[in-house]
Amino acid sequence: MRPVYALGAGAHPWGKWPEKPQLQLALEAMSAALADAGIVWAEVQGLVAASSRFEGGMGWGLHANEVVQAVAEQGIPCINVGGACAAGAIALQTAHALVASGQYDVVAALGAERMPKGFIPRPPGSADDRSDNDFLRWVAMGATNPAYWAIEARRRQHEHGTSERTLAQASALMRRNAGGNRLARYRDPINEDDVLASPMVADPLHLLQICPVSDGAAAVILGSEDYVRRSGKAAVRVAGCAVGSGQFGDPARRIPTISSTVREGVAHTSEVTGAVRAAFELAGIGPEDVDLLEMADNSAWHILAWPELFGFYEPGQGDWMLEQGKLAIGGELAINPSGGFLSFGEATTAQALLQVSEVLWQLRGEAHGHQVPDAKVGMTAVLGLGANGGSVILTR
Amino acid sequence: MGEAAERFVVEGLVEQTSAGPRLIGSRCRGCGTFYFPQKASCPNPACTDKAPVAALLPDQGTLYSYTLQRYQPPPLFRMDGWEPYLLGLVDMGEGLQVMGMLTGVKEQEVRIGMTLQLVTEPLYCDDDGTAVLTYKFTPAGTAL
Repeated sequence: MRPVYALGAGAHPWGKWPEKPQLQLALEAMSAALADAGIVWAEVQGLVAASSRFEGGMGWGLHANEVVQAVAEQGIPCINVGGACAAGAIALQTAHALVASGQYDVVAALGAERMPKGFIPRPPGSADDRSDNDFLRWVAMGATNPAYWAIEARRRQHEHGTSERTLAQASALMRRNAGGNRLARYRDPINEDDVLASPMVADPLHLLQICPVSDGAAAVILGSEDYVRRSGKAAVRVAGCAVGSGQFGDPARRIPTISSTVREGVAHTSEVTGAVRAAFELAGIGPEDVDLLEMADNSAWHILAWPELFGFYEPGQGDWMLEQGKLAIGGELAINPSGGFLSFGEATTAQALLQVSEVLWQLRGEAHGHQVPDAKVGMTAVLGLGANGGSVILTR
Repeated sequence: MGEAAERFVVEGLVEQTSAGPRLIGSRCRGCGTFYFPQKASCPNPACTDKAPVAALLPDQGTLYSYTLQRYQPPPLFRMDGWEPYLLGLVDMGEGLQVMGMLTGVKEQEVRIGMTLQLVTEPLYCDDDGTAVLTYKFTPAGTAL
């Protein structure tokens, strides 16, 4: 593999955009990414898009084709990848491979999403019988996604004594980080009391400890060493980039299943921890080298648990790290300086590319209003339906 | 009127035995792993036989974790007389953990590690008067 660099990134702000079709969000994110990279469409040699099940893509998930047909009919390969909430990471992995192989010099990865309101509906085309987990979890027990996260959080309270206040502090930190990020949807400051005063959704998780859904789009342009030199921008390298799927025996409460077969010694959320480990190996670095981590905080529990699963510190230590301010911007390990899913709301297929965009801007020192001081190494981690995990490490 | 008609929310999840209800899962003849619900194959990568057969799970387990679901789930879920309910994750032994609604226990009384018994209860009545049942877990010793 030859070295691959992040030439530029762009994003449409997260929010609810009823006036803008998904394609419009995609085009605006791509335009911003091209401008950031200092290139034009004619220089893009390939486009990898995250396939969405909600809007666009001609109903077949052909989101890359739809974009080039709108803006640049130039014969380039259009690759569309599925991966649910991890699709953006799989798009980046694919774009990375296309450049690393030497076949192409500039490839873009794109995710754009408009989410339906409220609970994510069950997709069409599945059988109404016991072979479909997403049918079973609704009809047999009405298990919402927050219920799965709440069951994890409750177990953590039992094992590590995590307090309601510490769980609330995680949400407050995300909102504080988002305060300086113009792309985040929720930027008003909240404190622990506000979090605890918000309605309880699934004990112990309150409304402000659960990520909502949003519309948003993000694009990252990868390129060869020649291209990054020519751009005149700081050379930010994709030092590690990996995707993975789940391991047999994983104890995670995996949505939408209604059971787990647990085996001793298997990592929790193995699809993500496996991708993280693989990314570390490719980059030849470890957790101690990372300045910031952009990770999927679907709930406040994730903020506490995930860095432990990745080996940043011991299980149970996340509470102390958070309480001591070590996870804040300027702390030992800045977690989600962007504000995370809790402040953005999840625009499923776009989310992983927003994470990579954020890390790129942080390493360039361009994360105005929420900059991690002297950030040199940043990492992302994301989880998607179907036990898809992805992780990316950028270095400068 | 004869005895009211009953059915389960989904076929093939629960078997009514003379000793009470049991969950129907799979046990792989190759590697011995238990699954719930029944599996088409065996996802254990170390298993070369991939030969799951239907198997009844134990009718008791211990509570591993739980939550109180306060918001009404979307319409695929039906429940007469909606009110918030407890959802538990129950350790059935041999590494198998099963999610299900809890019944006969208040939130303040729930304890991780408590022994639970499998029961069936109606969730709602169909338009034709059929009672639609699901499986639930209740503190052991309290089941009727």
